[in-house]
Amino acid sequence: MAKNFGKWLISGPPVLYLIVFFVIPTCIMVLASFRYAGEYGGLAPVLLRDASGAHLNLTLESYQEFFSDFIYSWLFIKTLIYALVTTFFCLLMAYPLALLIARSASKYRDLLVLLVILPFWSNFLIRIYAWMILLGPQSAFSAALNGFLGIFGVGPVRLLFTPFAVVLCLIYVQLPFMVLPLYANLEKHDPALLDAAQDLGANGWQRFWRVTFPLSLPGIYAGIALVFVPVLGIFAVPDILGGTRGIMIGNLIKQEFLEARDWPFGSALSIMLTIGAMIIVGGAALFAGRRRKGDV
Amino acid sequence: MIRLLFLLCLVAMPAFAADELHLYNWNNYIAPETIDRFEAYCRCKVIQDYYSDNEELLAKLAAGAKGYDILVPTGNALASLVRQGALLPLDKKLIPNLKNVNPAYLNTPFDPGNRYSVPYAYTVTLIGYNVEKMRQLGLPTDTWAVIFEPKYLARVKGRVTVLDSQRELMAAALKYLGYSANDTVEAHWYRAQQLILRAKPYWAAFNSSSYIKELTVGNIWLVHGYSNDMFQAQNDAKAAKRKFTIGFSIPKEGAVLALDNMVIHKYAPRPDLAHKFINFMLDGRNSSELTNMIGSGNPNLAALKYINPEIASNPAIFPRKEELGKLEMLQDLNMEQRRVLNRLWIKIKIE
Repeated sequence: MAKNFGKWLISGPPVLYLIVFFVIPTCIMVLASFRYAGEYGGLAPVLLRDASGAHLNLTLESYQEFFSDFIYSWLFIKTLIYALVTTFFCLLMAYPLALLIARSASKYRDLLVLLVILPFWSNFLIRIYAWMILLGPQSAFSAALNGFLGIFGVGPVRLLFTPFAVVLCLIYVQLPFMVLPLYANLEKHDPALLDAAQDLGANGWQRFWRVTFPLSLPGIYAGIALVFVPVLGIFAVPDILGGTRGIMIGNLIKQEFLEARDWPFGSALSIMLTIGAMIIVGGAALFAGRRRKGDV
Repeated sequence: MIRLLFLLCLVAMPAFAADELHLYNWNNYIAPETIDRFEAYCRCKVIQDYYSDNEELLAKLAAGAKGYDILVPTGNALASLVRQGALLPLDKKLIPNLKNVNPAYLNTPFDPGNRYSVPYAYTVTLIGYNVEKMRQLGLPTDTWAVIFEPKYLARVKGRVTVLDSQRELMAAALKYLGYSANDTVEAHWYRAQQLILRAKPYWAAFNSSSYIKELTVGNIWLVHGYSNDMFQAQNDAKAAKRKFTIGFSIPKEGAVLALDNMVIHKYAPRPDLAHKFINFMLDGRNSSELTNMIGSGNPNLAALKYINPEIASNPAIFPRKEELGKLEMLQDLNMEQRRVLNRLWIKIKIE
């Protein structure tokens, strides 16, 4: 009893926190997506009272709206592509970096990890605004790139206010979230395994693909989940850097809640996004699970 | 112990005894010297809280926020607050300075007869531009055509931003097409949408936040935005000694005017101080200080003689009579209209 009490004392507050600030709001949002929008914004009452008594005032119209026009699905697909590209490049860049940190002398490792998380010390928005300056037509970066392209006779390109700027900044913002789980995984690998592989005649390439890489898969999955899912809902980056073509699903949800004051439709979009993310992550987990079973 | 309690009481006492006015206002929307003078005048303390758009104000009040004396909502938000019964009727006997207000800004459809509200300041949504570039490219600066017509836009492709606001951008397009900014005929909205879609490939961004900076550093040459923002960009460019100047003007087809109003919240703890504050702010000199600071339009006739002549003579900040007639205040749409407009807007944003 006392032992259980201690357990509850420790895990109770976070569980309570999640119930109050995650489970209940999610339920409220699910309900909101089936309600009518209020005349001045907000939501219409759930119960309507008239002569015949109270009856429920719920509707499917927000979901009907979602499926009535392909434009919403198209925005989902576009967001998905941005998220996939971002995740792919994060992985491509984070893996060598994490490996480098994990294999460097232990006295430098903490410092290197610190350098990876250093950007978090300045505000997220300030870092995005910094990209605005970097990508602006008058920046040294733009000038150098366009000078380089000019050698090949390719006209000057515009960087700011393009989908390219959005994806570039998303990669920048999310990169540490890929590096850290990968590092946490790679750092634990026993170097003796590589020595053993070498003794058995594996060359460098084989040692990586047949020893290091399979062992690091849990780190890769964790990194992908940490990068991919948050990108799906992001709106600040496309808002600031996206120009007229860079909008993502997060921007639309924000617009529904603030500008259009259509909370039910905004809620429905959020729920569709959550379901979509769950299907993708669930599918990936299932795939990964099956693979692991197949390996055994 | 008793001494400690006594000390604590001493420290805490001013907090209870002092008179406080709680002002819930836009960011950077009152001059610090005005506040200082009001505090000295009423021997009270002004405690400010800020919002950055009307939705934020409405949402906070809808969520049950109490304790604010004065709010400064824009026209359509004012109408919504009046309808919700969230405001205290003004006692005009306590506001003799009301006589200073230009009658053109009184008796708006948002609060007929000014039962609840008194005009504070206004902005006009207009076009701002890099004067030298416009001249060099031979572009007109007195018409919305320069924002919407491909024949002009081709010369400034990728150097134009428009506001990321359904109502404002649609209003500009409707005005250009010769309709009212408050037109709600769907066919007219559709035409405005087509006009926007045709111009969109030439625009760099929908931007409501950073266009001041982009204009000031010379990345963007032509923007659709608010008059006080343009005033800031103009001054910033001057202060940074740029080789170009920033100008702004009201298109001849007309534009949107956003009038902000002082009102007293229903749950105001100190309606007496609130009335005092409103009367104080309607004094010519007090009212002029905000205009001199941020270049906002001023509906107060007694303020004119205190306003920096450069600002007072700018027709984009103080529209002439014939222009004033072409300016419209945006009225709130109902839910059904908002949905229709929103759907048109989503097409604009995604296509």
